[in-house]
Amino acid sequence: MAKGVETSAPLHKVYRTLTFVAVLPHPGKQASSMQDDIADLLERLSRQDRTALRVLYDRAAPKLVGLLMRMLSNRAEAEDALQDVFVKLWQRAATFDPEKGSGMSWICAIARNHALDRLRARKSRAAQQTDPLDDDIQITDPGPSAESTMLLRAQMQDVIRCFDELPPDRAQAVQAAYLKGQSYRELAEKHSVPLNTMRTWLRRALISLRECLDR
Amino acid sequence: MTDDTSLDPRDQDDLLAAEYVLGLLGPDDWRRAQERVAVDGDFAAKVQGWENRLAPLNEYFPEEPAPDLLDQIEARLFPPAPTPARRGWLWGAGLGTAIAAVLALVVFVAFPPAPPPAPTLQAELVDAERGLTLLVGVIPQEEAVIINATGPMPEAGSVYELWAIDEGGAPRSLGLLDEGETRLSGVVQPGETVAVSLEPAGGSPEPVPTGPVLATALLATP
Repeated sequence: MAKGVETSAPLHKVYRTLTFVAVLPHPGKQASSMQDDIADLLERLSRQDRTALRVLYDRAAPKLVGLLMRMLSNRAEAEDALQDVFVKLWQRAATFDPEKGSGMSWICAIARNHALDRLRARKSRAAQQTDPLDDDIQITDPGPSAESTMLLRAQMQDVIRCFDELPPDRAQAVQAAYLKGQSYRELAEKHSVPLNTMRTWLRRALISLRECLDR
Repeated sequence: MTDDTSLDPRDQDDLLAAEYVLGLLGPDDWRRAQERVAVDGDFAAKVQGWENRLAPLNEYFPEEPAPDLLDQIEARLFPPAPTPARRGWLWGAGLGTAIAAVLALVVFVAFPPAPPPAPTLQAELVDAERGLTLLVGVIPQEEAVIINATGPMPEAGSVYELWAIDEGGAPRSLGLLDEGETRLSGVVQPGETVAVSLEPAGGSPEPVPTGPVLATALLATP
């Protein structure tokens, strides 16, 4: 289940693994995939329910540690950031709108945003910073998680299909940006192309992705 | 980042939103986009659109054992005694008010007056990141809400807006905040929550917050 695949592999290379998971007999009923426990917890947080904060921590902290470790490449900073993220979740829970997306997506967006904030602050202080984990990070199939609903699996397959339609190096670059917070400048250096070329590539790739995903 | 003339101009904003969500922008463009999310509802909606499109990629973040940091988090969110509302209320009142309070006490001792209306509900809104603290006091008999702000005022073109959120979770605007003390009129009930959001100048164009909510707190009796 935790079969490792290198980040540098395009997403379609993990397609088989994911398909395998998706066709496994799913224990939950279809109706349970409509349940968004995280959204319910966020709604309780917005009413200042402190018990809900503890439950949310148990449910979401492992995912957020994984996310923050990937993006910040530093355990101490990831743990520091984890505290900041939970403070933000408490303070902003009232702005979560379940009509606009799932609870876990909202939480991950806040955590990614916080990590990007830290990365940008770090990079503006130390202008040059190489990513020591650049070639180490592996994309592994997370297996069924709190959010591994049938709906999510279907969305996942759409994303894999749409990334598969892109030139592989551009698909990789978009993934590296999302998963590791790499900027245009870092990606241009890594792929040895001028920054403007990288920007033009990725903007075209993003337009294709949007067309494919909105189809 | 608006120099790619081969792209449909209508795409520029949406692509900027994608670049912001992905983290492609350099520090300055990132900061500008982040501020824009706070004050531009259309742009914020585009950002949300991309967050949703790319959300399945979150599955690639593996779960890892999390250290138990709940105590630290709770200590930051719920500072221990003395009761935050009362301590904050006095501290936030400032020297001038403190002197006035001493004078009032002298007057009170000499000629006991009818008790002045005091807040019956209070809350302390703290955005630690900004260094912003708002002390909110509700005076029902005057249908007034008094806010004492300490910390930075919002960047040009934006404003802090105060909201009351009822127990069903529905927000209503109480008004916009000035520097220092602001007195707003409004009726707020026990059990309601107050929140402060960052909005474009003139306040949220919607009946709900459109910018980020910086802090929320439950109103409590002092």
